[in-house]
Amino acid sequence: MMTITLTNRDNARYKVMCRRSLLDELLDHGVDLPYGCRYGGCITCAAKLIEGTIDQSAQVALNNRQIDNGYIILCVVGAKTDCSIDIGMESHDLLYRNPFLEPLAPQDLRADVGAPKEA
Amino acid sequence: MECCGPGYASPAEAIKAPREKILYTIAIYTGTGIQQPDYLCTIDSDPDSATYSEVIHRLEMPGIGDELHHMGWNACSSCFDDNSMSRSYLLVPGVRSSNIHIIDTASNPRAPRLHKIIEGVEIKAKTGLSAPHTIHCLRSEIIISMLGDSRGEAPGGYLHLDKEFNILGRWENSMGDIPFGYDFWYQPRHNVMASSEWAAPNTFMPGFDLEEVGHLKYGRRIHLWDFEKRVPKQTFYLGEDGLIPLEVRFHHNPDSTHGFCGAALSANIIHWWKDDSDEWQWEKIIDVDNELHPEWPIPVPGIISVILLSMDDKYLYFCNWLHGDIRQYDISDPHNPKLTGQVWMGGVLNKNPKVNGVQVNGGPQMIQLSLDGKRLYVTTSLFSTWDNQFYPEIRVNGGCMLMVNCDVENGGMQIDPNFIIDFGKEPNGPSRCHETRYPGGDCTSDIWL
Repeated sequence: MMTITLTNRDNARYKVMCRRSLLDELLDHGVDLPYGCRYGGCITCAAKLIEGTIDQSAQVALNNRQIDNGYIILCVVGAKTDCSIDIGMESHDLLYRNPFLEPLAPQDLRADVGAPKEA
Repeated sequence: MECCGPGYASPAEAIKAPREKILYTIAIYTGTGIQQPDYLCTIDSDPDSATYSEVIHRLEMPGIGDELHHMGWNACSSCFDDNSMSRSYLLVPGVRSSNIHIIDTASNPRAPRLHKIIEGVEIKAKTGLSAPHTIHCLRSEIIISMLGDSRGEAPGGYLHLDKEFNILGRWENSMGDIPFGYDFWYQPRHNVMASSEWAAPNTFMPGFDLEEVGHLKYGRRIHLWDFEKRVPKQTFYLGEDGLIPLEVRFHHNPDSTHGFCGAALSANIIHWWKDDSDEWQWEKIIDVDNELHPEWPIPVPGIISVILLSMDDKYLYFCNWLHGDIRQYDISDPHNPKLTGQVWMGGVLNKNPKVNGVQVNGGPQMIQLSLDGKRLYVTTSLFSTWDNQFYPEIRVNGGCMLMVNCDVENGGMQIDPNFIIDFGKEPNGPSRCHETRYPGGDCTSDIWL
């Protein structure tokens, strides 16, 4: 079991199993969360990782800039350590960007078309 | 011709139908930060009513996060000669959840109720499809374009339903080389269907990354199908002239071969037709120039998010969602459109930010035209994640709906000063409005055999 702290919900803490998605775990605990596709493709359930280690290898929605900004897709993410996260739209301050005002560098694109990140 | 089936004998008969007294418009909370279901609004559009220009009923969907988007009827004028049919159910899909809500609008048209849900998980299990978009009726059948497979990858396919809303399977026999799906329209007398290309759900649902267009993750083709064989037979490669081709419309006249599509990112109107040698041809007939913006490093494209033809096929309407204008062209000669009307609302160029006392957040987006061609209803939200990128203030202020009066004789448009619905003042908080339909059929719902 890992402990998830919701930093923008008065640091509410929940015990979760690692093998289930954080979305399913937190919904079962009664946390009110937005979600859409439930397969990691639509970004509705995005949250921001403040601290901890996760596995979200199944997500296909985020580009590398969003990942660098800490975003995780709750419906497919599993916690590998205790984690602190911000949830809900309040955590989306860096999620959306006007693509004409702030272009993406090649390494900022989604993994399937992005340039490899420099080590 | 007298008959008892739904719809009208011809487009000319549809134009003579009574005025629309109520409208159905979807409103969303998905992506807004408000944890409430998306809903179907009934709007009073009868100027003699005490509740004119108000939302008079809200039907909430059972779940949260559907992202209601487009809708379609169980029956249309293609069933006009079948008196066992009636236009009683509105199909309202969620793009993100893939749930298709079947709404009974006949028992009480002013207060529709949920009849049935085709669950997204059932659709995925039986057909391997997700992300429902356009719905068309074809006599005893219903066809729905599905933009992805069960994992949100392109090209998806077409869901086939019977009139009891059972899943028959996939409608198409082959997707051929089609890379993406989006909108479709068919013209049975010419055994042709046209389809367009947005992108894979996994690409467009999280938002728009402009750079992905160059990586070919967005569409640039229009496909013509052998409608009876249900296979694609010809592709127009539009290239840079046709980046992200969205709504496709054939003429309402079932004998015509002329069709049109708005290429959103290129901000062009594409026209196709069958020539005297029975060959299909295409051309670009309208090119909206990019506009300079004081704070943007590159000129702003119009983003033509919707097009629509008047029921008499005389006028083409479209919206530039980013620029903020709605245009009316006389397309009596489809090769030579003439700009006859233009109004502004919202948009990033700030040319008309406030309409009838309401701050417009977003730009003109979905439109629906009265059957007589005189009233164009306009809403402002495109898609929750794209709204959040281009118009972040819509999260706080919500969308709005207004009406444009259209001169069908001489051309011309004017925003009606007495009709406005501010979705920023909805009871559960600011929501966003998208597609509109009328109980008796409208200018994008019906196809004649």
